[in-house]
Amino acid sequence: MAYTRKNQRDLTGAERKKFVAAVLELKRTGVYDRFVRTHIEHYTADGEGKLRVAHMAPSFLPWHRKFLLEFERELRRVDPTVSVPYWDWTRDNSPASSLWSDDFMGGNGRRSDLQVMTGPFAHAGGRWTINHAMTEGRFLTRDLGRPRDPITLPTQAQLEEVMRERTYDVAPWNSTSASGFRNRLEGWAAGQGNERFRIHNRVHRWVGGLMLGGASVNDPVFWLHHSFVDLVWSRWQQRNPGAAYLPAEPPPLGDAQYRKVVARHQPMTPWGVTPAEMFDHSAIYRYA
Amino acid sequence: MTFPRRLALRSLLTLTAAAFTGGALARIAVTPRGGAAVRASGGTFDEMYRGRRIQGRPAPAGGTEVLVDGRPLHVMRCADGGFLTPIDHYQTYPTPLAATRGAVDELGSAPLSRFAAAHGVHPGGSPRGVHA
Repeated sequence: MAYTRKNQRDLTGAERKKFVAAVLELKRTGVYDRFVRTHIEHYTADGEGKLRVAHMAPSFLPWHRKFLLEFERELRRVDPTVSVPYWDWTRDNSPASSLWSDDFMGGNGRRSDLQVMTGPFAHAGGRWTINHAMTEGRFLTRDLGRPRDPITLPTQAQLEEVMRERTYDVAPWNSTSASGFRNRLEGWAAGQGNERFRIHNRVHRWVGGLMLGGASVNDPVFWLHHSFVDLVWSRWQQRNPGAAYLPAEPPPLGDAQYRKVVARHQPMTPWGVTPAEMFDHSAIYRYA
Repeated sequence: MTFPRRLALRSLLTLTAAAFTGGALARIAVTPRGGAAVRASGGTFDEMYRGRRIQGRPAPAGGTEVLVDGRPLHVMRCADGGFLTPIDHYQTYPTPLAATRGAVDELGSAPLSRFAAAHGVHPGGSPRGVHA
């Protein structure tokens, strides 16, 4: 029977506590940091001439769907009643949201060094030491809203604009794809200033600190963010039942994207599952 | 630098840092491959920025090798013609120098870790053999 992923704002106090406890248990046993490493190892930019599976690529959505499922499976080994809640950032769009309270994600980073000082993931609590990141800093960092260059979270209207896309993805299957649901949702755009940061990318930028870089998984809010990104994809799939994953076939020899992107029935590292296999999640989980 | 000393260098960090010592940067600047186009694109630099020493030079295998306080920072090319670093995955910059300065802006006070050099290198995809 499928389990439910809930909006984080609708969790009871007991549900919040159970989720945090399961996350902390995975951290204690070292399982959590395996997920941090996997994400770090799979960030390849789209001008590098290498295969991209996780970002700047059509498989951005199925790769993260599988990544969340693997994490959720580990959480549910610890506590079978837990699932990954989602953060609807179009609605809970300020640092005052209960998302950031002391019994859940904890608060913003302090001014001097962006260190998160409150909540279960504050370094001083002794249960959340950063082991795999781009610097040797050992504490979780955040910079909510990026005060020195302020940015706002995506709005409902901006998300609805993305939902109106009718095609999953288009050539050249990267951050420069001018249309297509995947690149619009991932959030790469041309332009000046904060206009360049859209939807999914913009949320990483709004949280700031570790969420800005390759080690973003170190911030547990990563999972709640990507749970919502996955929900948006799921709703888009419902609206567009005929819109399959693209590209259906691998780009041919001679195409600039030859061996750079994953086609519908090709395996994604590190699990070997295909985008097609990740298309229908209804037997495993649903969104409330 | 003597040959035996070089043999004693073990880590990627040290090797990369060693390549930047002595006259290495000066020599590169006058070779044809490291010429005006590379400098104009911000690919060769050595400066202090917000208290950090940032250095860049063309990598033998293409792209740019960058050090921040002697530690390697992976600068990746993007399809839009820009560059990004593992410190900030969501902003591309017009040059490696701009990307490096952007990374320093976000770094805080902590030194780079080894992951900043090896990131984006999943199994089977390493161009530089830096994935231990």
